[in-house]
Amino acid sequence: MSTQVSRRNAQQRVGHTLMWIAILLVTLIALYPFLWAIITSFKPQRDALESSLIPWVQFDPIMDNWKAELQTGGQENFNALKNSGIIALGATAVALTLGTSAGYGLARFRFRIGNRNLVSWFLSQRFLPPVATLIPFFLMLQRLDLFDTRLGMIIVNATFVMPFAVLITRDFFADLPKDLEEAALVDGASHRQVFLRVALPIAGPAIVAAGIICFTFAWNEFLFASVLTVRDAQPFTVKISSTGTVRGIHFGYVSTRLLMAVLPPLILSLFVQRYIVRGLTMGAVKG
Amino acid sequence: MTIKNRAGLWFVIPGIIWVLCFTLFPLLYSLALSFTDKRMGRRNRPGEWIGVQNYSDIFADNRVSEVLEMTLFVIIGGVLVTIVLGTFIAWLFNHDIPGLRAFRAILTLPIFAAPIALGQLGMILFNEQSGPVNHLITGLGGEPVYWLTEPWAARFAVLIVDAWQWTPFVFIIVLAAMQSIPDELYEAARLDTANAWTLFRRITLPLIAPALGTITMLRMVETFKILDIPYTLTGGGPGVSTQTYSYYIYLTGLRNFDMGYASALAYLLVIVAIIITSIFFWRVRARYEVQ
Repeated sequence: MSTQVSRRNAQQRVGHTLMWIAILLVTLIALYPFLWAIITSFKPQRDALESSLIPWVQFDPIMDNWKAELQTGGQENFNALKNSGIIALGATAVALTLGTSAGYGLARFRFRIGNRNLVSWFLSQRFLPPVATLIPFFLMLQRLDLFDTRLGMIIVNATFVMPFAVLITRDFFADLPKDLEEAALVDGASHRQVFLRVALPIAGPAIVAAGIICFTFAWNEFLFASVLTVRDAQPFTVKISSTGTVRGIHFGYVSTRLLMAVLPPLILSLFVQRYIVRGLTMGAVKG
Repeated sequence: MTIKNRAGLWFVIPGIIWVLCFTLFPLLYSLALSFTDKRMGRRNRPGEWIGVQNYSDIFADNRVSEVLEMTLFVIIGGVLVTIVLGTFIAWLFNHDIPGLRAFRAILTLPIFAAPIALGQLGMILFNEQSGPVNHLITGLGGEPVYWLTEPWAARFAVLIVDAWQWTPFVFIIVLAAMQSIPDELYEAARLDTANAWTLFRRITLPLIAPALGTITMLRMVETFKILDIPYTLTGGGPGVSTQTYSYYIYLTGLRNFDMGYASALAYLLVIVAIIITSIFFWRVRARYEVQ
């Protein structure tokens, strides 16, 4: 009996060790490209062109790439980053304002045309191929004098990210007990007051999570920005998409810039782990 | 509170109007454009009604079959690779091993990175002379691969970058599905067999199948949109080998400014997306009702 138990324990230990090796390997693969970019951003071009597998050996780290991107070319990068930030924040604000209200309505009221039909209406944008509305937006924004403006880009991105806001808040309110809200209604509060004073304050975490996901997708958007902006409202994704110089690709600069593009969303993502599954599957899978 | 109530309308109407203006209207606008010969630029044409001419042109367009080849390759390849890898990683993480939570968060990072930046990162990693991918291949005794100059290698490069970004997405969803399976089922089955593969095939797989179905649809719809990664990784090349259908629409409408034809191309894609989306909503509709 005791030998059987110890044998099983030994087997389990071997199993665990193998699993840890697999887990570490998978984690390494997920992180390796980012690590490579970080290391390359501290390398002179001469070293970056040399082939190696482990990027952190045999080179003297330099700050030249970061200095070039932050100081010499700093103003242009700064403008593009500022555009990205303003556009993503504006789009998030619009999406949250309309989306939280819609999410609450869909969770608390039954509509005659069917709540699921309304939900599909709100989610439809996520399922449509964006290129299908690219040309109409191009013509519309030109007509409205919103071409190459941040306002135009805020409208476009708010449209794209609103489904996340509607869905995450709808799910949150649907799971929330109704007692408090019903009590407030009995006391004579209006539905609007109940939403603003009772439901909304509790929904803080869900709204922040929805906001972060909206912000990320608006920050990362490239296709529409590349067509609808030229200079004034050009966000960072478009700025970095043209990398070629007359002497070819400078790996150090490219790495530095792409890190500046990916770091804000990556850091923010660590705060929304609980909401990723539902948010990204449009509520189809409970996480 | 779930009575039919006019008060509820005020919560949803602003959003409904927004979608009407910025989703439905543009969609109808592009449907109308698809029946015209609208062009901008040097061969400017304001857009005369030409009926279904654009649609019949699609079937005579050789380029369409070329870009469809790449598109189907990325969709089918991407869905298969991410589902197999994502399910395997989820299986690893579904074990009761202390300390796994932190790793889970790290694994989801790629999802949040801008695809346009990942395309560039791919360009550095797959660089034929100095990239680590070729270095690894030659280190293992293989021949260097011409990732960016050989058509099929370039297609695989796009696929690998896309799969690298979206495997974590499959992973967290399948993990959530696996964690909702009650332990008792496994305990009962362990009386019959201790084989991990048998347990997986008989219990885990059937119970995560619905989640896998949902993922397949979501990934298909998302992959139709793929454009950013080939844009910076390969520029659609060599030749047109890594141009996707979306990429081709983009070039037709906004580089050549042949907007009528591009709208017709886009509409075929819209129809495919609507079919997949309808299946999706039909499957999960109960979730969205108010209890």
